[in-house]
Amino acid sequence: MTALAEVAQAVPVRTRAPLNRFLRSELRMVLRRPRTIIFIVGLALVPVAAGIGFAVAGNGADDGPPGMTISGILDGNGLMLPIFGLVVSLNMLLPLSGAMWAADAVAGESSAGTLRGLLLAPVGRARLLAVKAFGVATVTTIAVTVMTVTGTITGVLLLGGDGMLTMSGSTLGVADALGRVLLTAALVTVHVWAVAAIALAVSTFTDHPLVVLAVALGTIVVFTVLGAIQALDWLHPYLITTAWQSVLDVVRDPLPLDGITTGLLQAACYVVIGYSIALARVLTKDG
Amino acid sequence: MGPEQSGPTPLAARTRGLRKVYRSTVAVDHVDLDVPVGAVLGMLGPNGSGKTTTIRMLLGLVTPTAGEIELLGAPMPQAAATALPQVGALVEGPGFHPFLSGWDNLLRLAAVEPQLTTGRIRPAVTEALERVGLADAAHRRYKGYSLGMKQRLGLAAALLVPRRLVVLDEPTNGLDPAGTREVRTVIADLHAAGTTVMVSSHLLSEVEATCTHVVVLHRGSVVAQGALTELLESTDASIVVSTPDVAQAVETLRSARIGARPVPGGVRADLTTTTAPSVVRMLATAGVSVYEVHRQRTGLEDLFARLTGSLSTVEDLGTAPDTDHEGVR
Repeated sequence: MTALAEVAQAVPVRTRAPLNRFLRSELRMVLRRPRTIIFIVGLALVPVAAGIGFAVAGNGADDGPPGMTISGILDGNGLMLPIFGLVVSLNMLLPLSGAMWAADAVAGESSAGTLRGLLLAPVGRARLLAVKAFGVATVTTIAVTVMTVTGTITGVLLLGGDGMLTMSGSTLGVADALGRVLLTAALVTVHVWAVAAIALAVSTFTDHPLVVLAVALGTIVVFTVLGAIQALDWLHPYLITTAWQSVLDVVRDPLPLDGITTGLLQAACYVVIGYSIALARVLTKDG
Repeated sequence: MGPEQSGPTPLAARTRGLRKVYRSTVAVDHVDLDVPVGAVLGMLGPNGSGKTTTIRMLLGLVTPTAGEIELLGAPMPQAAATALPQVGALVEGPGFHPFLSGWDNLLRLAAVEPQLTTGRIRPAVTEALERVGLADAAHRRYKGYSLGMKQRLGLAAALLVPRRLVVLDEPTNGLDPAGTREVRTVIADLHAAGTTVMVSSHLLSEVEATCTHVVVLHRGSVVAQGALTELLESTDASIVVSTPDVAQAVETLRSARIGARPVPGGVRADLTTTTAPSVVRMLATAGVSVYEVHRQRTGLEDLFARLTGSLSTVEDLGTAPDTDHEGVR
């Protein structure tokens, strides 16, 4: 044994970098990726564009019966705008964004050759997946939060917002209405996490981020079609898209919790399934 | 130079019966590799000979189908957590985020580097960039880097902290002659500091200039390994005779039971059973015009040609950039 090797062996080797350092580095990297920023900005503009549209349409559509059309519901009911924006985006835009971030997280790093660098550090494979899941979940949360903020501001400024006229006909105070907006944001975030978990699982099986997006898009479309077929109603509780419909319950008064709770459980199942598959794959994957 | 040992040499890396099968393709088979501590080991082999696959298994990136691996005395991949922090590696070309600068890319790797304390991250990144001559381009986006700069950044990542073993897969790929010289200097510095270095290369001259040990891989198997000087000494001596009368010269030598074969511009004579003066005398007596006689340089190239048994692979090895990825990931 050479003297140098002895010295090197005498010093205890630190086997892991601190977790918070890895988490911060991951967020820093994800939030500096131009794609991420563009998608967040685009999502933030969805409720703004809708708000402007409804404000313009609302002024010329006073003749129609109020409360029968979306623009009728939203007119003078500005706090409904962030809820509208989030629920509409949950049907396609947000799940696709979540899937894209999950695609970049593992498949993207794999195709850029950067996953190797992390594995060689080494970061530990289970920890790698945990950090990746954290990064995707955080970006999702940021996107939904930004949408909620821009939607609320736009709604209040353009459509007016003292309180909220619910779908059940009652009126909520501003505090209650904002509570409903926050609840919507929380529910939507969890449902996007579920999609992202599945997408992350797919992401561990391929080097091509586009494959993940294609699978996510295909799944959403197929599930939506299956969900519309009455003869298959036995299948509906298992579809990830079914759970999304429960989010609209937030605009009823009093708040029906059954559907919302079931929806959350469905999302939780998908999160567990997604991360279990991803973990099993990451532990054995060739880097 | 590396310290002289008595008794069994300690090994920085060791494999026994290493085998990797991708579906129906056998990428690596029966690889018994010994990397002595302090050595600079050159891994040679034509494209697809299993160099990169062997390195990836050694570093725990790929699970072997069969066989044992020891890295710095610990079994891989079980001991990855303790062994890998002491290993720096550039595998399968540099892999970085195109939208980040070289500095930010290294910062990210430094953040997950177990050996670096948080306060040492920035100085370590600065030093690594300076060491590979990238300090000026540190804050430019990786996307805009030339191939050589990308390769240098990969080298910087491997050298982020002092290592006991540095593994460089095709480190000179895409580098200009100046860059190649710098890599040679880096390897020499590492060697002088007692670091074990494994370097795979398709440039035979490169390996000959920098390595103390060589392993030659061919079709997934080790066909030769050992100290470079020993391997070269075992090569048979020969001379090349420049002559226009090739056919006559070959016939003369062969009738005297001396191995001879035509080479461009002359004849190559085997000296295992005879000496240079007697070959020349024999040819002169037979009336062959001899313009020049020179000792055949028994370089790595000859060794390699003999071991892998085909000239085409040598040409392959000498000119084609090695994309030794075995096509599977």
